[in-house]
Amino acid sequence: MSETEMGKGACANRREFLLSGGITAAMMMLGTKPMMAEAKVVGYPRKKIGKLSRLKSGRPIDFNYPDEDSENILIKLSKPAGGGVGKNANVVAFNKLCTHMGGTVTDGGYHHSDAVAGPCPFHLSTFDLSRHGMIVAGHATQSLPQIQLEVKGDDIYAVGVMGLIYGRNKNLG
Amino acid sequence: MSITKFSTKDTVPIPPSDADVLTTACDYCVVACGYKIYRWPVGKEGGTKAKQNALGVDYPVSPLSGKWIGPNQHNVALYNGKLHNVVVLPDGDAEAVNLSGDHSIRGGAISQRCYNPNSPTHDRLKSPLVRVNDTLMPVDWDTALDVCAELSNYTINKFGEQAWAQKTFSYEFYENTYALTKFARRYINTPAWAPHDQPGPGSATAGFRDTGFENFAPSYWDWGNSEVVFISGTDPYETKTVLFTEWFLPAVRNRGQKLIFVLPRKTTGAAFAEKNGGLFLQITPGTDTVLQLAISRYIIEKGWQDKEWINKWVANKWETDSGFGQGTRNTPWQWRTTWGKFQTKGFDDYKKWLFSQKEAEMATASKITGIPASKIKAAATMMAKPKADGSRVKTSIGIEKGNYWSNNYLNTTSVAAMAVILGAGGRPGQVVGRFGGHQRGGMSGGGYPRSKSPEKQEGRRKKPIDLDRWFVSGHVRFAHVVGTTWTSAMGGTQSIQSMFNKLTRKNPHQIKSRKKEEIIDSLKKRMDSGGTVVVNQDIYLRDPIGAKYADIVLPASGWGEDDFARNNGERRLRLYSKFMDAPGLAKPDWWIVGQWATKMGFKGFNWKNSNEVFEEAARFSRKGIRAYHNLVFMAKKNGIKGHEALRKFGTKGIQTPILMVPKEWKENRPGQQYVSAETGLTWNGYKLAGTVRAHDTERVMPETGPAVTTVWPKWLTHFNSQSGKLNMLKSPWNLFSDFYDEISPKGDELWITNGRINEVWQSGFDDMERRPMIMKRWPENWIEIHPDDAKSRGIESGDYVMAYSNRVPVQKDYNQASHPGDFQYSTLKKNGHIRFDSASITGVAIVTSVVKKGTSWTYFLHPEQSANSLVAMVPDPITNRYRFKLGVGKIKKLGESPYKNSFDSMSFARRDIV
Repeated sequence: MSETEMGKGACANRREFLLSGGITAAMMMLGTKPMMAEAKVVGYPRKKIGKLSRLKSGRPIDFNYPDEDSENILIKLSKPAGGGVGKNANVVAFNKLCTHMGGTVTDGGYHHSDAVAGPCPFHLSTFDLSRHGMIVAGHATQSLPQIQLEVKGDDIYAVGVMGLIYGRNKNLG
Repeated sequence: MSITKFSTKDTVPIPPSDADVLTTACDYCVVACGYKIYRWPVGKEGGTKAKQNALGVDYPVSPLSGKWIGPNQHNVALYNGKLHNVVVLPDGDAEAVNLSGDHSIRGGAISQRCYNPNSPTHDRLKSPLVRVNDTLMPVDWDTALDVCAELSNYTINKFGEQAWAQKTFSYEFYENTYALTKFARRYINTPAWAPHDQPGPGSATAGFRDTGFENFAPSYWDWGNSEVVFISGTDPYETKTVLFTEWFLPAVRNRGQKLIFVLPRKTTGAAFAEKNGGLFLQITPGTDTVLQLAISRYIIEKGWQDKEWINKWVANKWETDSGFGQGTRNTPWQWRTTWGKFQTKGFDDYKKWLFSQKEAEMATASKITGIPASKIKAAATMMAKPKADGSRVKTSIGIEKGNYWSNNYLNTTSVAAMAVILGAGGRPGQVVGRFGGHQRGGMSGGGYPRSKSPEKQEGRRKKPIDLDRWFVSGHVRFAHVVGTTWTSAMGGTQSIQSMFNKLTRKNPHQIKSRKKEEIIDSLKKRMDSGGTVVVNQDIYLRDPIGAKYADIVLPASGWGEDDFARNNGERRLRLYSKFMDAPGLAKPDWWIVGQWATKMGFKGFNWKNSNEVFEEAARFSRKGIRAYHNLVFMAKKNGIKGHEALRKFGTKGIQTPILMVPKEWKENRPGQQYVSAETGLTWNGYKLAGTVRAHDTERVMPETGPAVTTVWPKWLTHFNSQSGKLNMLKSPWNLFSDFYDEISPKGDELWITNGRINEVWQSGFDDMERRPMIMKRWPENWIEIHPDDAKSRGIESGDYVMAYSNRVPVQKDYNQASHPGDFQYSTLKKNGHIRFDSASITGVAIVTSVVKKGTSWTYFLHPEQSANSLVAMVPDPITNRYRFKLGVGKIKKLGESPYKNSFDSMSFARRDIV
């Protein structure tokens, strides 16, 4: 099975995100272990959250998405990342809440050389922001929800969420 | 291995307010957090207001509530043949263990284990299989078990019961382990028996046992209320997660607890300890005895030993000799101690011996262990130096496999002696124990027939079998393998696999027909020709034991598919409720062996349900640390089933041993609030009481004495020895040093030690093979290498590497010692009983400074890459336990893995960020 990188490259757009999600889902259906999960990336609002030119490497910016009750960070990593946008594919965004028990992961810090968020102040979970928020060490039963990004010119837009935000039964509504 | 891609779900259904709610505990690590199951028919859903859902919460759910349902906590399963939603959620109202509804990454996703044909669990075994023309084909239960019964009787009658072997899990619920051991040990009465993690029966930590410590005496309250904890050979953060996050972490943060970690690798917990005033002693694998002796000596040199405790509790010459009061029988104590190499006449004699040992001297110890003398002294000081007001530090000692699986007897005797010197082991917050691996689900249905064991020390002292050596030597005609991989779980893996292959697949007598008589006939011919018949009983088809070697595969059901009971690592007994159907024809292990034994003509196996087994097994628990017979007695007097009485205790359960005490008796030992749920069960003026800790030397028992069916073993308030006192035992390094010198890395070899990791500990068949999130995190085996070792070999993170050796020592057929020292490694080698095998494994390199230079580390039991291949198949001759942690080999780069330049699978980020 070949790999499909989500939004890899400088000019990923909304259509490509949807496409890559769709391909992933289709491949799963055809695989030997069907129906592992259903990719759902439709219905999210499109919201301008920052400018590439204003981002400083390793200095997170806060923004709310997909609604005003949900806090996230936008950050330029030290290395290219899955789902990264910008010239070096290193601009990513993630929800702040630990998917273990809801701690604010970013309160535990961000480690620029490793592109790791955390440790979560509650129970020390850490997440790799260059790997779609994959758990590095700790207890969360899913990755840190990644905010899908698109770039138009210098503007960065949030266009979707991968994964369920802590505390909710669905991300929207 | 292919890469499984997936994207995460962003919705999860809410249980409606009328959903069924049942209690259980996690099935994975020894901590066994309390869980609740919410079950309701598919097609319905609850709402986001508290009154609209079974959790009684308003959405969004607040942090630390323990009431949030993540996508991996929901599944769909069959119950009474109908599709139901199931949410398996850590109990947010838990009153013990996982207090705030905390959970690990494994248990938190345990609902994904439920059999769901639309999920990665679709390949559960669903019917008995027979290998016909080298293809596993479904058959009915009667055919499969008729064959098993007929061939078992044939084996016993023709070759003797020692040719009938059982290798089985020792932990997967009392009902199953009781039935399995009743069958193999009491009825077939074979000495060819071994649990999943050892080549024979007996204690995992014989040095603790001989000193007088029970492995699981402490409660989690004790660990959390110690001032200093010496943690050797494990990181509870990785493998006992909630013990760490709910009991150690708050103690460190809020009460200034200090943790001392002894490990070759800086894990998350070790890094956290070091950052918060504790210590990390990065030890060279296999040298714990030396470290422990040096700490003990330094403490005594400073006069910091707990003199009052030692005067009161250390056995003198006569009290130690009363150990022989265990009789002239062949007890482990006797055959170990009558060598005269271990026992002392008390503290002064131990001190004299200790001070005569070169290895206990600081400079020598520092050199052997690779730990700076300053750190050894700092550890001793932290644990033993009295406070300014003269009071003692409350120090506890906890060990696990890195300690007792590198040098079994000597590590456990030396750490036990160190504990005695510190005054640890018998008071609240000053305890000694194992943290544990699997949950404590072993209940013996029959004693081990030691007198039939083929193995003997010098003199007439029998010791339990080394089943691997017995098998590799060709003495097993019929092997019943239950819930374990056997081959890859033991040392010298490739040697055992090669013999399995020879005795099964390479034997000319193979099944060619599905007719029962022809199956039996061909397999009898197999056995007559010196081959072996293998029956594998498991929930999945495991490779190679089931997929390649088994002639018959029996499908077992498990957690959640029947009512079961078991203890956790603080002796907490709970009911694990049935909440879904087992797949296909799969049956619980107690039923399978019950039917098999009945077909062989044995009486007393025709149980109708798991409760009948639970109640029958109760009386066998009576004198042990898991005693629950009073619960069953109380249940009967109240006219209810034993399981139903236990169900009343919910996720809190009750800590064993369970005593019967007068109703008005009140106890308030430290940690009492966690001992037992209130059930209101009484009978004739008596109620049930739990036990917060064993060896509770300050506990005052009821004046009325042991009531009704209650037994008060001495170890309740004293220690586990004949005298009730502690035996200080010597740990002579030279009993081990010849083996250690042999296997220590030579030339460009490295230690290739191994261990567990948080994400896949005891859940490998679920997580590593069937849980997409974890399959992305760890898609293949991996090997951690120090940057200096990597650089000189041209290795970068993400490269495929091979670890290999052509000198894996294997002890050949030798089991009868005549003269003292016959089992000593150098003597075995001199007399031609050691051969050297080749082995190799591969993995993805992670270049990291968390491992020590010269010491690489790999996952311990990857299904495709058994780290034990590089481990000597030469057990500790004193106890017949492997030195699993002492793998050695060379490492070279093979090429780049796909993960080196991927964003999707595997993270190479540091795990020690705290």
